[in-house]
Amino acid sequence: MAFSDSIIVVRNLDSYYGTRQILHSLSFHIPAHQIFVIMGVSGSGKTTLFRHLIGLKPTPPGSVWIYGEDIGSWKSGDWHKYWQRIGVLFQNGALFSSMTVAENITLPLAVHTNLPREIITIMVEMKLHMVGLSGFANYMPAQLSGGMRKRAGLARAIAMDPEILFVDEPSSGLDPITAAGLDDLLLSLKEALGMTVVVVTHELESAFKIGDYMIVMDRGRILVSGTPDDVRKSNDRRVRQFLERRADESGQDLEAYLERLCTVRSRVKS
Amino acid sequence: MTITNVIAHLGSWGLGKIFGLGRMGVFLLQAVSGLWKPPGKFLAIVKHIYFIGHRSLFVICFTGAFSGMVLGLQGYYTLSKFGSEGLLGAAVALSLIRELGPVLSALMVTGRAGSAICAEIGIMRIEEQIDALRCMAIDPHGYLVTPRFIAGFVCFPLLTSIFDVIGILGGYAIGVMLLGANPGAYWDGIYKSVAWEDVSMGYVKSLVFALLTIWICTYKGYYAGVDSGSMGPEDVSKATTEAVVLSSVSILVADYVITSIML
Repeated sequence: MAFSDSIIVVRNLDSYYGTRQILHSLSFHIPAHQIFVIMGVSGSGKTTLFRHLIGLKPTPPGSVWIYGEDIGSWKSGDWHKYWQRIGVLFQNGALFSSMTVAENITLPLAVHTNLPREIITIMVEMKLHMVGLSGFANYMPAQLSGGMRKRAGLARAIAMDPEILFVDEPSSGLDPITAAGLDDLLLSLKEALGMTVVVVTHELESAFKIGDYMIVMDRGRILVSGTPDDVRKSNDRRVRQFLERRADESGQDLEAYLERLCTVRSRVKS
Repeated sequence: MTITNVIAHLGSWGLGKIFGLGRMGVFLLQAVSGLWKPPGKFLAIVKHIYFIGHRSLFVICFTGAFSGMVLGLQGYYTLSKFGSEGLLGAAVALSLIRELGPVLSALMVTGRAGSAICAEIGIMRIEEQIDALRCMAIDPHGYLVTPRFIAGFVCFPLLTSIFDVIGILGGYAIGVMLLGANPGAYWDGIYKSVAWEDVSMGYVKSLVFALLTIWICTYKGYYAGVDSGSMGPEDVSKATTEAVVLSSVSILVADYVITSIML
């Protein structure tokens, strides 16, 4: 994978919440027209990285290049243009609860295009058909199941036919069948529309099913990066632990701690 | 705790407050700049006028009537001691138009609509809907905050006017119809004593209260959970409580300041 094929390049990205460092010198690149998966356990820094990439967290200059431009030096106008070229599916869909499904999908089209109302209606129907929600246009988000809400959110994210689609935890909280359906949908979006898809997930099956390239993160650092096969073959202890779904060895520390506690209590009693 | 720790905590608290005030100022400027940003705001303004204005009508009429009635009752008994029942109309009208109308209607709208505005925007914040707006290249301030400001500026003076009129009728019902004050003297007293300056003071107050209420309630909702980083339902409830308390206190403080300037 050459840097020249990359749509996003990250070099030595550090990130902080206050004085606490969340990301430690991350470096990787995301190739165009592929599905790139960011994997890791909870608290590994996936979401912080995701928020940097979609522009919701300020990025220091010289750390992230998108379309060959340093996003750390972007002004609000540059972000405005970038946001019109990407689609984002948030973890719970982030649908506007006071609008119907169709109104949610219409919103970006109505704001950013001068298309006539009839054309927008047809486009909304097409997007709903794409995500398997035909006939649900006039439903309110509260009337939909969790999986349907995510699919409706996906329909809104692809309403403007984005070049890059960012997806946060597509399978979380869904049953295996619905989750598999959503994975197939992401694969078909890549194949049919040639989108670059960036997925943040901790679901192994989903990641290995859809990912062309992936990184595995832990405590703000990248443990391994490459194709799914590269990740599977990794000998890193923490990667193996993650892939084999073993609990952290710090559990042994807990046992030792409890043992010490018992000793101290018995001493206090005596 | 050593003295240096106390000073450090005080300094940190003070810096936090200054940062909050600065952010509130920037928030207001962003709401103003949102006027010129898409999408169009006409329908959103109409919707918020309905929510802030129309849906508050009952509570405004109800409190307006009882405020006027209690003024009529108290005023009649006080004035009758000096044989001045003829001044009842002027006393009721001036109290309502200059003070009670703007203040009480603003407090009522804060309790009914301000809390709902704060909670709605707060829920949008914790459910990532505000982030979704930004990622769709839609300015959240222009979309969520600006229409509410315009609706507030339209509704507060109108609701204050309704409060005043209903209050004056309430005072008439008690003072004249129940206690027997002279009806001609009641209306004549209002006609002769209420000047345009009194009415304009009421309107200036209601516009300032609209600014404060919508500003504080939208700001608190917009930043619900942002500082704590937890983004949970408790952040929305905390923000709503803070918004109502701060708005109410600000209304009373601003009332004193405006009165002292305009008298």
